[in-house]
Amino acid sequence: MKMFDPHVHMTSRTTDDYAAMAAAGIRAVIEPSFWLGQPRTHVGSFEDYFLSLLGWERFRASQFGIRHFCTMALNPKEANNADIAQGVIDLLPRYLEKDGVVAVGEIGFDEMSEAEEGYFRQQVELARTFELPLLVHTPHRDKKRGTEFTISLIREMGFPEERVLIDHNNEETLPVVLETKCWAGHTIYPHTKMDEQRMAALVKKYGPDRILVNSSADWGVSDVLKVPKTVAVMREQGIAEAAIEKIVWDNPVEFFSQSGRLDLARTKIDQSQLFEGNSVLRGQSPQIET
Amino acid sequence: MRDPKSLGQSLLDIASRHMPAEVARFVAQGVPQPGQQLQRGLFFGYFAGVGRRTRELDFKPTAAERGELEALGIIAPEAFTLGTLSRVALLALGCSALEPRDHASLLKDAYGKGDNGERVAVLRSLILLPDPRRFLDIAAEACRTHVQDVFEAIACDNPYPEHYFPDASFNQLVIKALFTDVSLARMRGLKARKNPELYRMARDYEAERRAASRTVSSDLAYVAHDLENEP
Repeated sequence: MKMFDPHVHMTSRTTDDYAAMAAAGIRAVIEPSFWLGQPRTHVGSFEDYFLSLLGWERFRASQFGIRHFCTMALNPKEANNADIAQGVIDLLPRYLEKDGVVAVGEIGFDEMSEAEEGYFRQQVELARTFELPLLVHTPHRDKKRGTEFTISLIREMGFPEERVLIDHNNEETLPVVLETKCWAGHTIYPHTKMDEQRMAALVKKYGPDRILVNSSADWGVSDVLKVPKTVAVMREQGIAEAAIEKIVWDNPVEFFSQSGRLDLARTKIDQSQLFEGNSVLRGQSPQIET
Repeated sequence: MRDPKSLGQSLLDIASRHMPAEVARFVAQGVPQPGQQLQRGLFFGYFAGVGRRTRELDFKPTAAERGELEALGIIAPEAFTLGTLSRVALLALGCSALEPRDHASLLKDAYGKGDNGERVAVLRSLILLPDPRRFLDIAAEACRTHVQDVFEAIACDNPYPEHYFPDASFNQLVIKALFTDVSLARMRGLKARKNPELYRMARDYEAERRAASRTVSSDLAYVAHDLENEP
């Protein structure tokens, strides 16, 4: 089965991870821009990060037969950094136009501060201007209120709900999201957020419509194979193959195709290629598909 | 509230008693010289170097020293290592060499480019310096950290949040403490700052955990229910 991990921070991962993902059936990934585990101290650090998402990281993925797309935004946590936040917003128009950018995100809330709300609103307007969908992070703490507040802002601003993916849902927030026309993402983590068994139970209860799953794997304890592992558990639980495929391929494709930039045409792996003179290989024989 | 110079000197005197002479000399070299402009690069070098030189040293203040520390505003001396104490002393003395309008910038620089130990010292210093309200953005930033020691330096045995955090920030701090298994017994002012929004957030978190078939800690249950019902 072809799979899509619509939220994974590959910049933090190794080439072994790419190889394992490809072997497990993952054909496409979306890498939302996010924070780096510690606050950045310069706007320029964001710019180089954005450039790496569009350049080197997309190339790395291609070397393993995986299509790499990204979303760009000022993330919720760093929206609270008054020294850099507006500077990052000012960068975005240039980067939101680039090929491979398929949404504005992750925007959303961390501690639901006034600064977070202000930058949320600015970035919703950017999504409207650049005709991109929105990827919205829901907070770890006070998640249900954060989800409800997100929806109220989207409605107040008249942004089309069907162009909004609200991420990191759980048992408490999924019914809230499904009452709207927004899409609902779920992060399968080793210990927090959501696990495979609970996810399968939610699919049994609510069905596959507008539901996505992702690994959100990053620099922390996380697992790039959580999408295929969730597929395996859903199968064990007797969920129909068509429903599973809808969740792990059709839904992310349908949602992010709203950007008009989701080019999923597979190119052949050619590890003899270089990106700005660099190869992912370290003396190995390049794999070249014919 | 003491002026930064006497605060810094008093803390330095206590710290120096617990370290070998060569370490005390090193720390003293970081003290800005009277009448000279503070050279931040040099100052932060000593501020950083304190960590490596004090890491292996115990800090067991005498009863008299505990009394001195408490009189200086340190309510929980046991939360201070020798390195933290020395660095807080340096920060206070660094501030004393600057105009008050530049204090926040010095602390922000120390926090923003500090390692975890340096950040802990900054957070422990905030409540001790004049007009702590000036440092609210540093304290709020610390609540966003994923580093447990840094988070605990603002959340635990530190009166700063109780006195200066708005309700929204205080509530976030409590809920994050519950998320990260920080004992609420180490948080100051929970009863004084209790508010309906905090109960609502705690009850939502409790519901979320129950829906995920997870345990509910006694601290979470306390905030969600007992704290609200306390007379």
